[in-house]
Amino acid sequence: MRFQYLLGQAFANLKRNLLIVFAAVVAVLVMLTLVFGTIVLRWSIDQDIGRWDDNVRVIAFLSDDLALEEIDALQQDIQGWEQVDGIEYFSKAEALDEFRELFADQQSLVDVVEEDPSILPASLRIRPGAAADYSAITDRLVVIPGIREVSAADEAIDALVARSERLRTFAFWIVVVLGGAAVVLIANTIRIAIFARRDEIGIMKLVGAGNWFVRIPFFLEGIMEGFVGAVLAVALVWGVSGSIAELFSTSTDPGALTVPVDFLIRNGLLILGFGAGTGLLGSAFGMWGFLRD
Amino acid sequence: MIRLQEVSKVYDGATVAVSDVSLDIPKGEFVFLVGPSGSGKSTLIRLMLRQELPSEGAIWVAGKQTTKLPSWKVPLLRRSLGTVFQDFKLLPNKTVYENVSFALEVIGRPKHVIRNQVPQVLKLVGLATKADRLPTQLSGGEQQRVSIARAFVNRPLIILADEPTGNLDPATSVGIMRLLDRINRTGTTVVMATHDHAIVDAMRRRVIALERGKVVRDQTRGAYETADEAPGEI
Repeated sequence: MRFQYLLGQAFANLKRNLLIVFAAVVAVLVMLTLVFGTIVLRWSIDQDIGRWDDNVRVIAFLSDDLALEEIDALQQDIQGWEQVDGIEYFSKAEALDEFRELFADQQSLVDVVEEDPSILPASLRIRPGAAADYSAITDRLVVIPGIREVSAADEAIDALVARSERLRTFAFWIVVVLGGAAVVLIANTIRIAIFARRDEIGIMKLVGAGNWFVRIPFFLEGIMEGFVGAVLAVALVWGVSGSIAELFSTSTDPGALTVPVDFLIRNGLLILGFGAGTGLLGSAFGMWGFLRD
Repeated sequence: MIRLQEVSKVYDGATVAVSDVSLDIPKGEFVFLVGPSGSGKSTLIRLMLRQELPSEGAIWVAGKQTTKLPSWKVPLLRRSLGTVFQDFKLLPNKTVYENVSFALEVIGRPKHVIRNQVPQVLKLVGLATKADRLPTQLSGGEQQRVSIARAFVNRPLIILADEPTGNLDPATSVGIMRLLDRINRTGTTVVMATHDHAIVDAMRRRVIALERGKVVRDQTRGAYETADEAPGEI
């Protein structure tokens, strides 16, 4: 009965300030739509960047007939080059794992490779000291016998990496600016609700209602505002996630760009929690200095 | 039941509302706090309610030293106190019954207790037949009865009343005083701030007179003024 009462109070508060509650929900909606949209967008870019993570810009694929000692010597040699910052050996088994991951949604390709794992060669992954050094490194690698093929990240990949990083910054500022606005708007709805109920609260305090009994409806109100905004944002981004993923993609295969459902669920839940948290924070700010005895 | 020890209350470091007041009010007593406006009556009531803390001194209410009570325990203290004010403080959108039951609901009393207690106390204050009315449909005296019912429904140890008859005509005030007297006879301590001469003189209870925040007189079976020579009976 008490919980019913608290929830009832929270709903009554929401109904009383419908217009400003609407504004608060929209602020949360816009913020989280942009944040969730950015997450999906970065996912699609990361699909393209894939193995070019960790500043790896040059990959030297090795011949299968190379012995382990020879590879070792080669690695030591390249490590000594002035343009090279770091180098790692990537075995055939690791290559297969990576391939499975990258092409998880294209089972036919995976099947081919699994049938004949020798298709995927071992490789050396090289991090240049400066991004622009990759062409110099490539030029030296291609003439070494035992290296079957050299693949280098071109400027397009560099641009994608930069774009992914810019998106991260963008999402961060979205959270700071719009998140701040959402918290202030929610705090405002809470203040108004407290003001509208000040007589009732005064009497509750006089007859000895517990502090949390007085506060909980306001917390519930804020959490609901944040949560509803988050639910709408998740639904919206989920609905258009395919189009977002295609936005910057270089892939010509549309099948590769279906955002996995488990990715959407995982990040969607995160967004819902984030929305509820925003509401909680807004409530706390709204009650700051109010509702003392 | 209530004890004040060398209590002072100074606002903004300058305005002295209560100055070095020591009082002892035993259980079951009926006490009038009298004095002109600004003499510190309402401040004393607020201090007893722990709506405010004193600048100096210590206060015990219902067995607890309120000056050392952590704020989360204040609600528990308030549950042993009933309060009545000049402006009734009823919720206009709730019926008589709901105004009284509200006081029990928000401290988490079970439903069957509420269904049992509220009609009883409404009967005590003579409003059993008006339980479904809204406060605006009642006279001032009836509204004050509702607020007394709300103050008493949880069977408090103490009733603190700040000018409960301040908005009422003399005839209606007599009715309210009879009610408070009846509640006092159940063993409930009653502390009432007032500047209603007629009531104080008629009741002949303990009178604590305040002037500029100081106790200037503390008299059992007292009158509003020392020179008053026309005591009446209710």
